[in-house]
Amino acid sequence: MNAVEAVAGASAQAQAASLEAQNLGKKYGRKPVLESVSFRLNPGEVYALAGPNGSGKTTLIRLLTGLAFPTSGKVLMLGHDLHNGGYAVRRYLGAVVEAPAAFYPHLTGRQNLEMQAFLSGLQNAQARIREVLAKLELLAVADQPTGAYSLGQRQRLGLAAAILPEPKVLILDEPTSGLDPLGINKVHEILAELAWNGAAVLLSTHHLREVSGYADRVGILGGGRLIDEVTMTAKGERYRLRVNEPERVSALLKTVPGIENVTLRDVVIVFEGAPQTAIAEVVREGYQVQALERDYFDLYDYYRERVRNA
Amino acid sequence: MGRVILWEFGKLARLRSGRVGLLVAFLLPFLWALAPTAGLNQIYGLILVSGWQVPALALLAGMNFLFPFLTAMASAEVIGSEVAQGTLKSLMLRPFPRSGILLAKVVTALVYPYLLLLASLVGSFLAGAIHGFSSFAGGTGLGAEGFAGVGLVAPAQALAEILRAYALAGLVLWPISVLALLFAVVFLSTTAAALAAVASILLMQLLSPFIFLRPFLLTTYLGLYSPPTYTQTAGLLGLASAQAVVPQGLVLLMIYTIGFAALAVLVFDRKDV
Repeated sequence: MNAVEAVAGASAQAQAASLEAQNLGKKYGRKPVLESVSFRLNPGEVYALAGPNGSGKTTLIRLLTGLAFPTSGKVLMLGHDLHNGGYAVRRYLGAVVEAPAAFYPHLTGRQNLEMQAFLSGLQNAQARIREVLAKLELLAVADQPTGAYSLGQRQRLGLAAAILPEPKVLILDEPTSGLDPLGINKVHEILAELAWNGAAVLLSTHHLREVSGYADRVGILGGGRLIDEVTMTAKGERYRLRVNEPERVSALLKTVPGIENVTLRDVVIVFEGAPQTAIAEVVREGYQVQALERDYFDLYDYYRERVRNA
Repeated sequence: MGRVILWEFGKLARLRSGRVGLLVAFLLPFLWALAPTAGLNQIYGLILVSGWQVPALALLAGMNFLFPFLTAMASAEVIGSEVAQGTLKSLMLRPFPRSGILLAKVVTALVYPYLLLLASLVGSFLAGAIHGFSSFAGGTGLGAEGFAGVGLVAPAQALAEILRAYALAGLVLWPISVLALLFAVVFLSTTAAALAAVASILLMQLLSPFIFLRPFLLTTYLGLYSPPTYTQTAGLLGLASAQAVVPQGLVLLMIYTIGFAALAVLVFDRKDV
């Protein structure tokens, strides 16, 4: 590949990103809240942000939506610098940045959405408003003042407002907070559908097991840094093996061709590769196999481990 | 933009401080109209002889502290209420320029002082009805000779003096209103912004002994609505004619208003919300 092709390739890759954080940093006074956070989000990708309270999730979301300005670095949304003249690109942004979402309490749900539609320069707004209200099952309360809405209804109206402009980038802070299980499922369905249709979805959440079903990647924030990024779809098949002498067997498996990423978790050996090969080798060496099972990746366990060790 | 301004008026109508201010401005004239004659005479050396004098009493009393304070509170709440409700963020998320949103709020902040004065004027006319609105000997309090007047005042002349004074009073309140809005952008808090605006005005008053600063102090022109004060102001500024106070004052009030508004827009454009 020559230099021109390399530049063209890099350019195409850059254009493909729906949202990109480049070395984002934020300080309040001298106190850094975020440091050198970089990631990119492609069309159709679901990215979940996880991290303990105070890890900088909300600050990061405020930076990514243009509500706050970074001390260093920049945010590119569909290739435009969001904080330097790129406000018009928010036409393609849908966001809920507070839980529950905030609305003018004296206006009805429909009027609040009309205001959002007008500010977004949305064409054919009435039909679209009706569509999103129906999708979030809010038609029955659409003409009631939002001051009378329940927490869950406000949260669903927040999502309705976020998807109203048919966003290419959707950023949500705790979108399922305050929702009942049916509401949570509904939100997950909608997010998965939007991603399927090409929208890039970024959400912050504490419900890791919920999002692990459909998130493509999970970014783990700790102490204002992106300490890890887990690619959910790239995980190979893993197995847990219980044997009579785990340490020796673990050392043995590391030498077996085709068996990879062997780790010892307490007394359980976790490995990737063909289980038959591993079992055959262990038995041939005279060790006793007590149990073998698939190791489903548990995001929550992984997250706990990463945050604890950060 | 027109639609955004209309929304802002809708929000203004629901601001608590705005409503309280309008109610107080409306009720204040009744206090004066119904005050015992002896007490009013004792304190202000005035015996009310006409309903045309009530608007002046309401205006003079209100402009002393109450109207600037109420204006500052309402203007600060134009931003502060959005911050408290969390709705400012949802506005900022849309592809509408921040400057446009803030300018709509500036327009609201400029209209509110006139709503306040209108409430006071309506209250004054209702309260003054018991004294009648025919011609009277004396002054409206808002003409050149104050309440003493220069002879018989016809209703048309009285009305013209009152309307002129109220119109000027609104202009005097403009920079205070926009200053409160500027502080609201800085602090994102109603109370802090209103207090900062009032404190700034009080501090500016303390600077009046510095003669070279006087022509540039906002507080020098706070009495612009009241012709009886022109001679004294002209003396303080070293102007040859008392009539020169009004144009000079208006220019400075406009400079302050536009300056504070421009600063608010600039700060808001790069403000974390």
